[in-house]
Parts: sequence; structure tokens; C-alpha cells
Amino acid sequence: MPVSRPFLLTLVGLSCMALPTPAAEEAKPVSGTAEQREFYTQQVLPILEAHCLKCHGAKSAKGGLRLTSQESIIQGGDTGPAVSIDQPAESLLLGAINYQDYEMPPSGKLSPENIAVLTRWVESKLAGAPQRVAAPESHDEPGPPPVNEKTKQFWSFQPVVRPAVPTPARSPWVRTPIDAFILSRLESNRLTPVQPATKTALLRRATYDLTGLPPTPDEVTAFLEDDAPDAFERVVDRLLKSPQYGERWARHWLDLVRYAETNSYERDGAKPFVWRYRDYVIRAFNDDKPYDQFIREQLAGDELPEATTEAIIATGYYRLGIWQDEPVDPVQEVFEDIDDLVRTTGEVFLGVTVGCARCHDHKLDPIPQRDYYRMAAFFRNVRRFGVRGGDSVEASSLIDIGTAEERQRHDAQVKAHQAQLRRTKEQIAPIERKVKADLQGVENDEWKHPKRRPEFVKKRVGGLLTQQEFDEYVRLIAQREQLERSQPPGLEKALCVKEHGRTSPPTYVLVRGNAHVQGDEVTPGFPSVLSPPEPKLVEPAANATSTGRRRALAEWIASESNPLTARVMVNRIWHYHFGRGLVRSTSDFGFQGIPPTHPQLLDWLASDFVDGGWKVKRLHKLIMLSSTYQLSSQADAVALEKDPANDLFWRFDMRRLSAEEIRDSILAVNGSLELERMYGPSFYPIMPPEVLAGQSRPGAGWGQSSDKDRARRSIYIHIKRSLIVPMIASFDGADSDASCPVRFNTTQPTQALGMLNSKFLMDQATVFGQYVQSRVGEDPTQQIAMALRRVIQREPTGEEIQRGLSLIETLQHEHNVSQTDALRYFCLTALNLNEFVYLD
Amino acid sequence: MSQNVPRPNFCGRTRREFLWQAGGGFTGVALAAMLGQDGFLSRQTVAADGLTTWQNPLAAKPPHFAAKAKNVIFLYMYGGPSHIDTFDRKPKMTGMDNKTVTVKTFGRGGHKNQGRIVEPRWKFQQYGKCGKWVSDLFPHLATCVDDIAFVHSMTADSPIHGSAMLMMNSGKILSGSPCMGSWVNYGLGTVNENLPGFVVMLDPRGGPISGAKNWSSGYMPATYQATVMRSSGTPILDLAPPDGVTRPMQRQLLDTLRNYNEQHLQSRVDNHDLAARIASYELAYKMQSSAPDAVDLSQETAQTQELYGINDPKAGAFGRQCLLARRLVERGVRFIQLYSGGNHNDANWDAHGDLQTNHDLHAAETDKPIAGLLKDLKDRGMLDETLIVWGGEFGRQPTAEYAKGTGRDHNAYGFTMWLAGGGIKGGVSFGETDELGAAAVENRLHVRNLHATILHQMGLDPNGLTYFHNGLDQKLVGVEGAEPIREIIA
Repeated sequence: MPVSRPFLLTLVGLSCMALPTPAAEEAKPVSGTAEQREFYTQQVLPILEAHCLKCHGAKSAKGGLRLTSQESIIQGGDTGPAVSIDQPAESLLLGAINYQDYEMPPSGKLSPENIAVLTRWVESKLAGAPQRVAAPESHDEPGPPPVNEKTKQFWSFQPVVRPAVPTPARSPWVRTPIDAFILSRLESNRLTPVQPATKTALLRRATYDLTGLPPTPDEVTAFLEDDAPDAFERVVDRLLKSPQYGERWARHWLDLVRYAETNSYERDGAKPFVWRYRDYVIRAFNDDKPYDQFIREQLAGDELPEATTEAIIATGYYRLGIWQDEPVDPVQEVFEDIDDLVRTTGEVFLGVTVGCARCHDHKLDPIPQRDYYRMAAFFRNVRRFGVRGGDSVEASSLIDIGTAEERQRHDAQVKAHQAQLRRTKEQIAPIERKVKADLQGVENDEWKHPKRRPEFVKKRVGGLLTQQEFDEYVRLIAQREQLERSQPPGLEKALCVKEHGRTSPPTYVLVRGNAHVQGDEVTPGFPSVLSPPEPKLVEPAANATSTGRRRALAEWIASESNPLTARVMVNRIWHYHFGRGLVRSTSDFGFQGIPPTHPQLLDWLASDFVDGGWKVKRLHKLIMLSSTYQLSSQADAVALEKDPANDLFWRFDMRRLSAEEIRDSILAVNGSLELERMYGPSFYPIMPPEVLAGQSRPGAGWGQSSDKDRARRSIYIHIKRSLIVPMIASFDGADSDASCPVRFNTTQPTQALGMLNSKFLMDQATVFGQYVQSRVGEDPTQQIAMALRRVIQREPTGEEIQRGLSLIETLQHEHNVSQTDALRYFCLTALNLNEFVYLD
Repeated sequence: MSQNVPRPNFCGRTRREFLWQAGGGFTGVALAAMLGQDGFLSRQTVAADGLTTWQNPLAAKPPHFAAKAKNVIFLYMYGGPSHIDTFDRKPKMTGMDNKTVTVKTFGRGGHKNQGRIVEPRWKFQQYGKCGKWVSDLFPHLATCVDDIAFVHSMTADSPIHGSAMLMMNSGKILSGSPCMGSWVNYGLGTVNENLPGFVVMLDPRGGPISGAKNWSSGYMPATYQATVMRSSGTPILDLAPPDGVTRPMQRQLLDTLRNYNEQHLQSRVDNHDLAARIASYELAYKMQSSAPDAVDLSQETAQTQELYGINDPKAGAFGRQCLLARRLVERGVRFIQLYSGGNHNDANWDAHGDLQTNHDLHAAETDKPIAGLLKDLKDRGMLDETLIVWGGEFGRQPTAEYAKGTGRDHNAYGFTMWLAGGGIKGGVSFGETDELGAAAVENRLHVRNLHATILHQMGLDPNGLTYFHNGLDQKLVGVEGAEPIREIIA
């Protein structure tokens, strides 16, 4: 523990105090008279020690404040000087102990006597207290890394330079430059790659990687029979062209951008038209949209010169996060939303955890707090998702996307409808006027409720009104109700970003992240450690509805010279193919990220990606045609001993299917998957009542879907943040409250329970049994062979068929199960095989 | 005093910790060698790393220091019971009914500076050796006060149900963080693999607002999320085999499955996930017998059943859950949360309308069961190691919410929680609210202090139990950290 050694220094600005001469000798706290010093040590200090110094003392300086010396008190903390020497009575410290703006100490207000002592002391301008106390020695830990020439040299902050492709010795193994990088590292570690994967394993791996689905038995046969040297290349081309490719890869992107379809919190309300964003992502992958354009559209599609409908839908990116519609502190909440955007954008596109610099300089990366707020400034003018209700969401986050003709037609319909409604009301009015003039006593009050008016009108039939007039009145009322109920159908809408206008409010550094404590004003800017250019901000046009700031951000992120963007994206693609990135921490390329196992390869890929026009499909092909990708997953004793984690890629790592792949595969193998039903709003799987019971209103927000819709791919499942489909949750689906760069991969008994006992599995096993029966008839051997072939996508062995047969026989003979049921239970067993859910 | 240097601050994670979380955290990353050097981390880390034999992530782990409590039962009074009508007596309010006073309040109705007093509607009497004043709402529970530590100076960050519940359950008003039960299981694992380590039981009228977010594992893997258990019917989702499948039949299926999977494993023995998956089916099979056994309350004597009031028309449902909670504790379930109240409006403690009808109902439903639980645990010598926590997401205001009636709005400025057993002092009260109970004034405490106390009693250092996520070493008690409430710890 560092000794608190007080020593004396002149305090500028304390001239009113009796300051002793600066002295170098062993010093004592001697400001003020002996009496004042005694008052301080006998009365003030005990109070401070009992109530204040634990948080604001030598060891801790919460809010940046230490109450240990005159200097530190006057200097104050994040919120400014704790004591004003000019106007001691107005001091923050006194306000705090009197529970005005601040409430200190938080454990309870001091006694009036203690407050009186401290007040007297403050009013004496802190007399008697030590003038200055040495700052405690810092702990072993170094402070936040500064932005300087040294930290700027960190590998991922440096521009990408295309490295030369190495020339390893075993050259025939090298099919693509990727292999050259991989093999040369293996060779220098005296390792050799294992054998290539079998054709069946390779086809399965490739089909799942690109489409998230198993190959069909026909595809297996065709590939096995195709001996042409380019047979696999043609498979890859076929898969990249399949629409299912976009569904598979969109799911990865949706994990990253925390895609969900509700807002979380109490109401967990649905986000209108959010599915259009999902469709946009699926199409972007299927169309091989260049990644730089993909970035620009999501971050600033509305600010692009060509703000197409598609680009506006892409800005749904801003609307995917959680939204508190009833914030405790509405001012702070604005910055919670902005934080979500800074964090997500920083991690997803740049692989930098900028979010950690919200309350203080980033402790681990050279990202000053100021840089965080400069990033935040790009989003400062973005409207919140809504203010409270549906109307506010409509105003803040929805836009009509109808074509000009559609809009014209719509306007005409609205006009006609309004005119008809007006006419009806005009016809009702004279009748009601007559009756109103005739109302008696309490009738006047009741008349205020339009629903009750007809009875008062009716009372006057035969007097004031004729029966005919009354009948006409009834008809008109009905007509009015009908018209009010049947508004013309609305225009097509999209969920999108909107700003408050063409000028942004100022952005301030927020002290400790507290929205109520503003520090310096900042302008938009990129993290300084990346040595970035200044953002190209242009004065928005007079009729602009936004500042253009997001465009500047998007252009910088999507630029070829950004050191991180391409590296981060190629690494993600590598990660999704190999189960781990060259940088394993796929969203953290900073100081604490895991350094790349193959830095040269990473840079070569990044550079090639940009040179190839940011095309993702090209990169898939490059990777998949490499020998590295086509390696077997079999272990090799020597390599396993030397490189157990397979850092060097001497083999291909096995992987478990994702939650969505498991569900989709079950539907695929039993023949019920509805592949044609692509795009559009989500569907609702059957939710077990036990799960619905966890809701405060069981069933609320969970709709019905047709059986056909329920057989759609999992990417179309409605994602309600507070009500996740059990199978998706138990197999580690992405938690959507924050960006999910890498999924968990857990093994737990709840998965087994769901796969054995859930209604979904039993239903699907039944369908599977019927499918098999309808194809091969009643021969159990044929049935088992077919079921296994569909599940493991290879020809089953005799032993495997025999094992199934004996199960069916035992069930029939020892458990009195019908043949159909026995087959069904065999199908259920087959869907539980490790080989079904694990890929070699 | 260098050993007293504060812990590395909240962002001060090491690369080792980061490695563990990256790459899915659970497979594919070679960590064991690195992590093995670090005692704390290796205890916190699951070993499914591709190197060492697979271990259930929920396998029991030693605590940071000797634990006072082994299990927690959190009796969650959803909606927010009124502290001044239950345990926080305000004698000076007597005779003030309907008087308008100046008082700062913040509830769903927003900030107010004055209001009309609703005098507490129940009489208070003194009980036990400690002489604790308890209102007539809890005649049974009142007889247990010598085992209870009342904390009257609680505060929370939000007076709105949704965010306040997240705060009470996960320490944050923002959605997305793991709940207390997840943290406890993450830190300690479970001693009974055949049952879940974190169990939630819901009110028959429905779940609480925000539903599953209240028992989610947030950014932690699903391994740590709660399992919802029912005290009747099938206790756990998908626990019962499908209709037509008998247990011997299921054994037959599982044996066949195992044969297929073992054959598949033969040429892939280095992949421990495959072995783990085989093992998980056996665990599931065992769970199918152990969970129904746990919920079989007919194994209890009539006397015990009566103690919990399970035959009482009002108290029966909660009584069954309390009794089940004790049976789960006996079987090693770490963290059990019971909800009194569900759905909306007066189906829970959220007494905006008629305070009396509301609290009479919910107190009658819980009074006997909770008293029964405390007595039963004590008689069986289990209370020492079982920490009981009682309370809601906030308290209620001293004033009326509307111009008419007795309804009280929410109050996060001051409210009461109580703890018992598990190394907590009995017969004490700590902290105070002001004369109206509008705000905590003496020894003010935050929900984080409550969380710190619970972790501490479980042998976990609240400021040392961390999980790396989103660039931060996250803690249940937040980046600020929090101290346990030492004044109530025995």
C-alpha cells in the first residue's frame, strides 16, 4: 500500500488561503491555524473516514473525486470542483450531503450535526486539511493504452499489404494460394496434412456449409458417380446458385446484427415489417452483392445518391435492437440506444470493441473515451425506434415504399373513402341536431356517448321524427361504422432509420457515460488509433431529412483503405467454413483479441477480397476448392500430439449442426421441408403450452400458422425475444439482445429430452416413417436402409441395417408395438444419431 | 498492504479469459494447459476443450471460500408488495389517512411531489424474542421472525415492472444479462446432474411480465438458464416419453442409439463432444425418473403437507411449490425461484386498485406456505445451509395513486426484502426508510448489495465472479461492484 505522504506545493487559485512557503523537507498538513487543524483532525476527518473516504479516498476515487486534500477537493471529480473557494456555500459537496442534486453518502444522509461540521469546514475554505496528498501509486496494472506511434503499429491497425504467396516443398498438394500459406506453416512445424475427406464427407460438408441442409440421396449418388476432375467445383457452383445459399448465410449475418422481431422488455412488441430486412440480407447473399455496397446500404442506404427502396430497407439494421418504450430515465435511454449502435457497428464491421470506451478510456485498447463519443456523433441525430406507442414507431421508423402508381391509387382510394365518410356524417348531423335540441335532463350527459344516441333518437319516433327518418338514421349510423372500420389498405411499408432532420444536436463526451453530465463537445470522427482520415461531412441539402453523417461513416468503413473491414469479413467467412476464424475472436481484432494463427494468409485473403470486388461467392469458392478445406477430419496421432487444437489446419475440424440446421434437416430428411416458401413474414411454430405458461399473458404475441408454413426453414421462425422456440434455445441459437459473433456449442440433457420426447420430434418421426413406407413399402430392411441413407447421407452398412432390424423386431415382439409404430420409433432413433448432427 | 490492492478493474481481463470465451468458449480451443495455471479460472471453466475428458459444465465446482449456504430459495413476490403494510411499520402514519402531504415519489404515474396518504390498512403486532413488528397479513410467518433478517432500506434503479424485474433477477435494467441463478450455477455447478441446477416455478395464473427474460442465461450459454418446473403434471418440458412409449421401450431405443453412436465414435475418439452427447442421453434418461420422484409430494406425511398448507384452497398452490422447493434442495438443486403472483393487475402483488383485497389475497396464499417452509427446513436442520430470500422488484408508495381508493403506485426509492437461513442472522432488522416509508434514509442499500450478499453466502466473491462478454468482465453486481450486507451476516 502506497503511503499517503503529504507534501506541500503551492496551490494556484488558493491565494485567499494562508499558504506556507513551499518546502522540500518532510511536510505536514499545515494550512490554516493550529485550531483549524485540530478542528479538521478531531472533527472533520472522522466523519470523512466513516462515510466518505472508502469511495473517495486514497484507494478509490469514485467519479474521479478524492476528498483527501484541499487540492483534490477543489480539483474535484467528473462533475467538477467539489468545493468552490469563491462561493463555498454553493459547493457541490454541500449540495450532495444535503441530498440536493447528489445524495451522498448513498448509504444514508449524515446526521445534522455531521452536516454542520462539514459545512463549517467547507465554509472555512477547507482550512486545516492537507493541501496536497501524493496520488497513490498506481497498482501493478498499467493504465489504458495510449494512442501513439507504437500502438498505431499494432498489426490489425496497419493497412493491408498483399503478402507474397509462399512456395512450400510439397507443391502437388497446393491447389490454391490458401494451401501454399497453410502448407508452408505445416512444413515449418514438421507436420503433414491428413488425407483428403471421402467424397461423401466432402459433399455433406459443402452442402451444409453453403445451404445449411443435407445433400439429397440423388445428389450423393450423382457426385459419387462423377469422376471428372472438376466434379467438386461443379458441386460448389451448384450450391452457390441455390436459393438456399442465401438463407444459410443470411442467418450468419442476422446473428451478427442481433436480428430479432420484437423489442424485448415488458411489452416485447413486434417490430413491424422487420422481415423485409431479413429478405434483403437473403437476397444480398444470393445476388452476391459486393460487401462494400452491403455495408453502405445498411449504414446509410437512405443517404446514398441512389436511395433505392432496397437500400432503405437495408437501414432496418438500425431498428433490430432492443427498445425500452418505458424508460426510467428517458435522457439516458437515448444514449443506451446510441451505445447499442456504436457497439454493434464497431464490433460487426470493424472488429473493435469501441463500446468499452463509453464510460472511460478503453482499458485494453487504445480507444480514448473521446473516440467513442466521436463515433457516437455519427448516430446522435438518429431517432429512437419510437417514443412509446405504435403511432410513434410508425413516425420514427416506418416509411411507405409503394411505387408512384401505387401511391397515386392509394391516395385516390383514401380521398374517395374520406368523401364518403364525410357525406354520411353530413346526413346524420341534421337528425341528431333535431334530437339534441329536444334532450331532457340527464339525457344531455348520456348524449355524449355516441353509442347511446340511437335510443334517444328512437324515443322521439312518432313525435319529433317519423319511423322512416329513424330507419334512415339507423342505416346511416351502420354505414358510418362500416366506413370507419374499413380504411383502404395501407401502402407497403418498410422499417428503416430516420433522423430528426438535417442538423444534429451537439454530441458531448458524457462523464462516466452519464447522459446528465456533459463534458467536452465532439464532432464525428473515426477511432484515432487507426490513423483515419477526417470524415467527409458535407452540408446536407436544404430539403435533406438527415445529416449525411452515417454516409460518411459508411464510406470510410467500406473503403479499400480501411485496415479492418476486409480483414474482419474474410475472417468471418473463414470462421463459418472452418468453425473458427484465423483470428478466433472474430469481433475483436484489438489488443485483447486472439492474434491470427495465419496473419499472412489473412492479409492475402483480405487483399484478394477487395481486389476481387468484395465478392463473397468468389471467396467461398476460393476456400472450398483448396486442399485445406477438403481435408479429412480424421485425427493423426503425431499431429494431435503436436498441435491438439489444430491451429495449423492439419485436418478439418468436425462440427455440430446449428439449431436451425438440425430443425431444417429433420424436415428435409422426412420430405416435408417447404423450400419454395421463401421470403416474407415469419411463421409461428407450435409452441408447447408449458412454454407459453411462462408469459404474463400466455399466448400473447404468438400467432397461428398453417402446417405448410410451419414446415418452412428455421430462418423464417418468428423471433420473439422473450419467447424462444425450445429447440432453437437448447441447441444454442444466437441470443439476440447483442451481436453474436460465435455461437456456443453446448451438450446438455435438455437437448436429448427435446430430441426424444418433444411433440415436434415425434410428429416428424411419424412423417418420416410414412415417407419411408410410401417409398419402399413394407420391407423393414428397405425401410431402415432408406431412413439411414436419408439421415446420414451415405450407404448404411449391413451391420447398421441389422441393428435397426433388431430394434424393430424387439419393439414388435417384446413390446407389442405395431409395425408402423416400430418404424416410427426407428425413425426417431435415426434422427438422434450423432452422425446426423455432427459433420466430419 | 499490497495484498489489499483492489482487484483488477472491470475491464482488466487477461487474454486467457478471453480465449476461453472466444471460439464458442466450449469447443475447439486448446485452453486446458493455459487455464490450468490459473486457479480461479480453471474452476470457472468448462473443460470441453477437445483435450481433456469431457466434463459436464454444470459439474460441481468448489466455491471461492467456505460457503455458508449451499442452496438458495428465492420467494419472488411479483408485482411489489407494500413494505409499509407488511414488515416496515410506520406508526407516525396513524391518523394521517387521506391527508395530503409533500413527498417525492416516482412510479408508473411518473414523478410526483405530493400525495394523499393511504394509512397502512393492517394492524401490527410484536413477535418473537426480537420483538419484530409484523402486520396482520402474515400471522404464520410472524412466528418465524427470530430466524429472519429484514432489510428495510432497499433501493432499485427502476420503478417500472419490466426493467425492475430484470434488475432484481439479473442486476441490470437492460435486457440481455444472465439471471442470478445462472451466475450461481456458473460459479458452483450442481451436485445433482440428474436435475437442473436452476429451477423456476411459476404462479398458476401466468408468468411475470417479460416472461422467460426473467430466468434467461443472457449472454451465457443455455446450460445456465433456468428450467421451469411444475409441481403437478409433467414437471419439466419434454420430460415424459411420448404417448405409447414405455420406459422399457425407451431403454431399448436408447440402447440402439448408443450402439450406433459408439460405433460412430470408434474412429473419432479424440472428439469428446461426441462422447458427451452419448452421456447426455443417459443423463436425460435418469432425469426422467429423478424429476418425477422429486415432485411426488405424496411421499410427504400428512403432517408435513398440512404444515405447508397444501390442502388450503388459497395457499395450496404456493404450498406445493414451497414443499417441492424443499425436496429440490434436498436433492442438491442450487437455485430455486418461486413466483407468488403472475399475469397482470391483481393476479399479483401490484396493488394499484384496492390495496386491501389485493394484499389480503396474496398474503393468504403465501403466509402459511412460507412459514411452513422455514419451520420444516429448520426442523430438518437444513435452514443453516439454505438461504431464503423474500421480496419483489420494488415496494409501494405511502400515498394513493388515484384521487379515490387505496391503490399504491410502485416505489423503488425504498422497500423491504428479507433473508433467512444460510448464514444470515435471525431476528434483526437493518436499514430504515423515512417516517412514511417513501424512501430509504438509513444504511441505504441497492439491489446489487442483495445480490452480493447472496453470492457471498454461497461462497462466491461477488466482485470476483466474472464472465467475459462484450469486451468486459461482466459481473452480477455490475462494473461498480458491491459489498455484501455484512450487518445481517451471522
